[in-house]
Amino acid sequence: MKKHFVLIIICAAVFIAAAVSSVVMLNAPAGDIVKIKSNGELLYTIDLSNSPDRTIIVEYNGKENTLEIKDHKIRVLEADCPDKVCVNTGWLDSPAIPIICLPNKLIIEFENNDADAAAR
Amino acid sequence: MDVKKLTKLSLLTAVALIIFVIELRLPNIVPIPGVKLGLANIVTVYALYNYGIRDTAMICAVRIFLGSLFSGNLMAMLFGFGGSLLCIIGMSLLKKVVTDKYLWLLSIFGAVFHNIGQIAVACAVMQTFAVIGYLPFLIVTGCIAGFFTGMCAQLLILRLKMR
Repeated sequence: MKKHFVLIIICAAVFIAAAVSSVVMLNAPAGDIVKIKSNGELLYTIDLSNSPDRTIIVEYNGKENTLEIKDHKIRVLEADCPDKVCVNTGWLDSPAIPIICLPNKLIIEFENNDADAAAR
Repeated sequence: MDVKKLTKLSLLTAVALIIFVIELRLPNIVPIPGVKLGLANIVTVYALYNYGIRDTAMICAVRIFLGSLFSGNLMAMLFGFGGSLLCIIGMSLLKKVVTDKYLWLLSIFGAVFHNIGQIAVACAVMQTFAVIGYLPFLIVTGCIAGFFTGMCAQLLILRLKMR
């Protein structure tokens, strides 16, 4: 009985910690400088605050992702990957949640986010 | 391994695969990669409770391999293997501590371990630590989904025992 109590406490602690950090990350302010990486290699660095509306096509192994920049925000407009997770992520609005297309190995993220800083 | 056990294990694998394929048809509510209900985990918990870690690992491996072939998403295979490996190891360690009425706890921990494994594989595949940002979201949804599948598995195990 006592062991279960400890386990439930651990469970609750993990859950609350994850929930709190999710909220903190969602409320983190969005930056201006966006990095677009394909297969670990930096392709573009874009300053969203003075970038005109346009579309960018990123290619990897013959697969294409079409990125759209509009009203100083960026998203993946179209992708020919099977799961379309990157399209469904929508606009990039938090430094903690990069737009990721796993099949095409594409990452779109704000510069200087915490997770990346930890990697350095 | 005798024929009877082999048949039982393959039956469990088939059940897990059917659940997996049906779950593919459910729409994804949260637009975060890796978030899903993981109903096939019910079978994993059941197998782990009734058989050993090796048999469960076999069921999972076959289920993930065939499942990702069926869904046409081979990347999912990598994440599935990474996640399930951690998940099974973690659950089999906890199994010794947890009694029948708290099996849902096992499943929650399994889900959290699964998410950690997934993110670890994602870090390796993408060669960046940026994906760690997803971990809190995955753990929150994983706890909820793990509780649900754990409750299902517990009901199943207890009722099959009563007969």
